[in-house]
Amino acid sequence: MTASTRPGTRSARPQVTRPSWWRAYWAMLLLLLALIALPFVLGLLEGATVGDVLANEAGRSKFMQGLLIEVFLLGLYALSYDLILGVTGLLSFGHAMFFAVGAYTTGILLKSAGWPFGVTVVAVIVAGVLQALLFGVVLLRVSGITFALVTLGLASVFEILIKSREFADFTGADVGLQGIPKPDFLNPSAERLRLYFIILAVTVLVYLFYRRFVNSPPGRVCIAIRENEDRARMLGYNTFRFKLLALIIAGITAAVAGMFYAIYNPIVSPEVTGLGYTVDALLIILIGGMGTLSGALIGAGVFRLLDFYLLKWFGENAAFLLGAIYVALVIFVPYGIVGTWQRRSVAWRRAWRARSGKQ
Amino acid sequence: MEFWREHRTAIMTVIVVAALLGLARLGMSANDWVVTILRGLSVGAVIFLVAAGFSIILGLMDVLNLAHGALFMLGAYMTWSVYVRPDTIVDLLTPGLLLAAGFALMPVWRQAAARTPARGRRIWPVLALAAAALILVRVGPRLPISIWDPKVYQNSPIVWTQNAQTGMLASLIRPAVAEGGLPIWLTWLAVLAAGVLAALATAGLGRRSGLVRTTGRAALRSLLLFALLIGLAALFFAFNDPLTNVWIALNSNWRFLIAVVLATLAGALLGGLMEATLVRPLYERPIYQIMLTFGLAFIGTEIVRAVWGRTGLTMPRPALFDGTGEGCPATGLGEWWRNHCATILVTIGGEEARIRTYNELFLIVVGLIVLVSVWLLLQRSRLGMIIRAGVQDGEMVEALGINVRRVFTLVFALGVGLAALGGALAAPSMGLSDAMGATLLLGALIALAIGGLTSFAGAAVGSVLVGLLQQFMIKFGALGIKLPFLAEPFKPSPSLVPASTVLLMVLVLLILPQGLFGRKE
Repeated sequence: MTASTRPGTRSARPQVTRPSWWRAYWAMLLLLLALIALPFVLGLLEGATVGDVLANEAGRSKFMQGLLIEVFLLGLYALSYDLILGVTGLLSFGHAMFFAVGAYTTGILLKSAGWPFGVTVVAVIVAGVLQALLFGVVLLRVSGITFALVTLGLASVFEILIKSREFADFTGADVGLQGIPKPDFLNPSAERLRLYFIILAVTVLVYLFYRRFVNSPPGRVCIAIRENEDRARMLGYNTFRFKLLALIIAGITAAVAGMFYAIYNPIVSPEVTGLGYTVDALLIILIGGMGTLSGALIGAGVFRLLDFYLLKWFGENAAFLLGAIYVALVIFVPYGIVGTWQRRSVAWRRAWRARSGKQ
Repeated sequence: MEFWREHRTAIMTVIVVAALLGLARLGMSANDWVVTILRGLSVGAVIFLVAAGFSIILGLMDVLNLAHGALFMLGAYMTWSVYVRPDTIVDLLTPGLLLAAGFALMPVWRQAAARTPARGRRIWPVLALAAAALILVRVGPRLPISIWDPKVYQNSPIVWTQNAQTGMLASLIRPAVAEGGLPIWLTWLAVLAAGVLAALATAGLGRRSGLVRTTGRAALRSLLLFALLIGLAALFFAFNDPLTNVWIALNSNWRFLIAVVLATLAGALLGGLMEATLVRPLYERPIYQIMLTFGLAFIGTEIVRAVWGRTGLTMPRPALFDGTGEGCPATGLGEWWRNHCATILVTIGGEEARIRTYNELFLIVVGLIVLVSVWLLLQRSRLGMIIRAGVQDGEMVEALGINVRRVFTLVFALGVGLAALGGALAAPSMGLSDAMGATLLLGALIALAIGGLTSFAGAAVGSVLVGLLQQFMIKFGALGIKLPFLAEPFKPSPSLVPASTVLLMVLVLLILPQGLFGRKE
């Protein structure tokens, strides 16, 4: 007797068989389609034509594109933090530096050094690797909460250097880095739709790469390190190498996010070097769900949109409400949005089915 | 030899610090040097008060309490309020006691919550909480509470500070009047109802597993407490004005003492409540504690901004440390005691050094007293023994039959109380601003990392090191360091002050990953 002819115990309904990739990715695919369609839908709702949207006419659609670009960049940044903290289990309080190095390298190379954009991209990636190596050197000595504090220290030194008056010609000090010459084909104002799609594509690609990485043998070792580093070491893995690998990947990702940040924003604010920006990343992945990767992207959306709309609707009281919402999220959505969904969805669905079955 | 091995880091630290202080002495005159050391110790004392509580909480419960800075700040602002506006505090007593009365009946509510059917149990506490919040929002502005308003300049905290400074408080304070058409007893009843609803909601939210049984005696006791609190509330309401007048007529030293004590107690209460309601469900999810405490820090800062305004405030020093008239500056401690001088002039190495009595003597003395008393508490009391054992191995302590959860609440209250005390004492010397919490928390974190995260001695040593380094960098920023290979004296810019402490931390941690006095894992 084969499995298929066994008397059905599950349900009388015919089972719809879907390919496995659809079951794994349907939500993400729908979201992606929605994000692709969004600029045009918003434009059409406002009465503009597709041509207007393509020509980057000012309007609601263009504004939303800008907001979503910020969400994507935060998402990339949080994704890299999730790889370090959520997947590998390294608590770093210096992650803002990973992002800020990318932003400032781009700004300084384009503005003060006058390098062409293509070379700058390479330099940003090199800078990302270098700072990951710097953190790796620290990691050789310390771990746990001490690692968090040393990285906090390194990031603070970087922040102080950025803000110090001695380098104001390059970094703009407290005011921020302004007047970066943007490459024409990525101009955030004249070519915003293109920038939107490019950053969306980068985000999706990076996300897919991260998923692939986590499910690959090295990624699995990273998870093992998070769960129990001693055991991973006992099994014969050189855990330092894998941690360094995670740091390098995250360093490049965050630096690239920072690069786009410098291109998109009219000014690179020194705020991105501060501890507050690291905590933003932490909040995002806690909202979305730690170690889930997709949680970082969804958390970024919730975080930025909440921030924006609360400020718009409540003005001065926004920060207070935001704090209250964080506390409420911790209590009522205990493992983040995606994390809680993954843990509870089976039970929820079962409860839903039981309830609708009775009625 | 044994002694050397055991205290190697301590001895090395002393030698290195002494050598550095000696080096620093070369760069400045003797009087500057002494004053800078005293300033460093005073800043260190304040940092220590925050760091000590933080480290005990981290050690015992593994909670990284990022709200500690905000609680330090709240302590400072509460001290300001009690010191400058005693009338507001007296006005707040009645509603506060009425709210507390609702919570006094907690055993009864718990019993009631346990009896409600399981279905729908999760929705009514939220509704009750919302109702309580609604009542408070509606009734709150109508309560007879005289309060400052940061948005109206004539009534802003800044103006009230000036009034307190010039000793005009007594003539400016008016009795508060209830607003709106409601009769006053109905208003109070509404506040009591809000307290009852909030307590019910708390009982419903904190669902206990298993049976909850409240004995008749416990119920009776809680009823008595309820009656007592209501009676007290009525009493305070009836004698509001005389109490306010007596309080304001008090000497400013006594008022300051009361303010410090009240702020510390309020901080401890807040800490205990925080642990019992918010932190406790999160012991299984450590990383989310960071999010929670960070959210609370956010809320704390916003509360400070909403209630006291965004502009920084100063707080007048109590009279004991504020004299400038005849016989001041004093030449010694005896003269200071007689004339209540703000400063003492001491001649060191042929030059005069001006030592501020509050900042550079009082704070250091209080820091030492707290250091010794907390050390005694940790080393010589049963509670201290449990705490130390819990830091080493919490599960084992629990297995020995000790209710660690209760100790957790106590320790949280103690730690936050210490932070509030730090804020209270720092208010007259450092001033108040909405950024003071974050700044000090960073200082305390650095101090703890240097000293060893969960070590009490480490907290003390680290704080002193951070304080000294900060003050010497500030002093050298003004004087400049003469370096042999530079023609011009090198002047560290103000931004290098935090950088120097951070660099010290990185250096220490890279050499000794556990910090100076940390336990090796």
